[in-house]
Amino acid sequence: MLTVAGLGVSYGGLRALVDLTLEVGEGEFVTLVGPNGAGKTTLLKAISGTAAATGTIVYRGRDLGALRASERAALGIAHVPEGRRVFPSLTVFENLELGSYRRAARRGRAQALQEVLELFPILRQRRSQLAGSLSGGEQQMLALGRGLMAQPDVLLLDEPSQGLGPRIVEQIFETIDRIRRERRLTILLVEQRVVEALELCDRGYVLETGRVVLAGARDALLADPRVQRAYLGA
Amino acid sequence: MVFAELVQYVVTGLLVGGVYALMSIGLGLIFGVMRVVNFAQGDFMMLGMYVTYFYAVAGSIDPLVGALLAVPPFFVLGWIVHRLLLARVTGGDPGRQHDAQLILTLGLSLVITNATTMILTPTPRGIRTSYATQAFAVGPVLLNQARSYAFVMALVLAGLVYLFLTRTDLGRALRAAADDPEAASYQAIDVRTMHGLAFGVGIALVAAAGGLLATYYPIEPNVAGNFIVLMFVAVVLGGLGSIPGAFVGGILIGLVQSLTLLVLPFQLQNTGVFVAFLLVLYLRPQGLFGRRARTV
Repeated sequence: MLTVAGLGVSYGGLRALVDLTLEVGEGEFVTLVGPNGAGKTTLLKAISGTAAATGTIVYRGRDLGALRASERAALGIAHVPEGRRVFPSLTVFENLELGSYRRAARRGRAQALQEVLELFPILRQRRSQLAGSLSGGEQQMLALGRGLMAQPDVLLLDEPSQGLGPRIVEQIFETIDRIRRERRLTILLVEQRVVEALELCDRGYVLETGRVVLAGARDALLADPRVQRAYLGA
Repeated sequence: MVFAELVQYVVTGLLVGGVYALMSIGLGLIFGVMRVVNFAQGDFMMLGMYVTYFYAVAGSIDPLVGALLAVPPFFVLGWIVHRLLLARVTGGDPGRQHDAQLILTLGLSLVITNATTMILTPTPRGIRTSYATQAFAVGPVLLNQARSYAFVMALVLAGLVYLFLTRTDLGRALRAAADDPEAASYQAIDVRTMHGLAFGVGIALVAAAGGLLATYYPIEPNVAGNFIVLMFVAVVLGGLGSIPGAFVGGILIGLVQSLTLLVLPFQLQNTGVFVAFLLVLYLRPQGLFGRRARTV
């Protein structure tokens, strides 16, 4: 469904991603883990079109290279960015409704809204509040809800656990798992919380300093001595 | 008697403040969405005055209607100016492009003022209307009719802008692009289109405000300078980037300007505006409606 080949991104002379190749199949849940600065966010930005990249990104047989970020989003790629990035001066409902701004999602807006509110009932209570006034956890739910409002074919999730307390993190991961089971949505998740994130996935990649150093199915990765040593403290 | 005089000044201030509010919304919208300080805003206002004038002279169109009829052509003009000029210096790294933006809008302002002076001569013109010299009497207080009509029209236009920004998908997308362009692009919102829209609407609003102003203010190529400063003060006073803030800022400027006349001669009427401006900046530097910090 999504194929990334030979991807490179540089910021000023700094190489953030080097010749990266990765694939996400239809309905597959792929997790990409790695330490801070490994290039995880950069990869998602390159796919979404907000980081200039070399190499090819093919989505459903279509090369995304020449498309702007908004055009890629219009094709059904929903990016829930790092740091949540809700629209602070818009209300919770306005944020959600803008999630289905893309033409293909407008007809299903009311239905999608009901589903999102069922996943995150707190957002209904907060509907008229400005998004900037929400707590971090609520903002993450809103960002995730906004992504789902696009009724996407692929969901790109960038560190949904960042800066949140353990209980909220658990709730967020449970919700992601639920979304995935109920909708068979294709998901590419990027995380620093290696164990939780890998447990959710079908397949995973380990990224270090802009390169894939390890790839494989969930259980193989979780059992890999290198993953154990580096991330699980075993 | 003294009280009636005070009320008179307050009412006069509110009436002109409505038109200031409309022009300030235009400037505030452009800054809020594009982060561009448009020094040419006053010159587009001046062009709006002239267009309304020619509507009146050539087509016998009442300036209150003419001001509305200025909206579509100026929206298109704003859109084109954005596409041809501003789009070249916006949308990239904002820190690096500020110089280019300032020089561009400042240059645009000079070109418009001087071209207008060349083509239309510096001679001031005015639109004669039956109501410009009439007043509604409310007890001892007099409301100039031209200013009253202009005030009402300004409020109606500002109200329409408000509805557009809060009730339509496009308006909300515009606000989203102002809040966070990158996150907006993830919602399939094309930020470049939003810039064109903001500039078109911003220019159309200030041109309409110019048309309304033309019902009671002389029209000349250099008129921009008297107003651009007031617009900037109103926008900063209200909180940079806030549309309701720009509106309230505009009304306040009118009020302060008018009340200054109670204690200072006419030539110094903007002194009060700047004193109030400095006070607000000292006590509440983010402006009346500004957010203290952006949420990450």
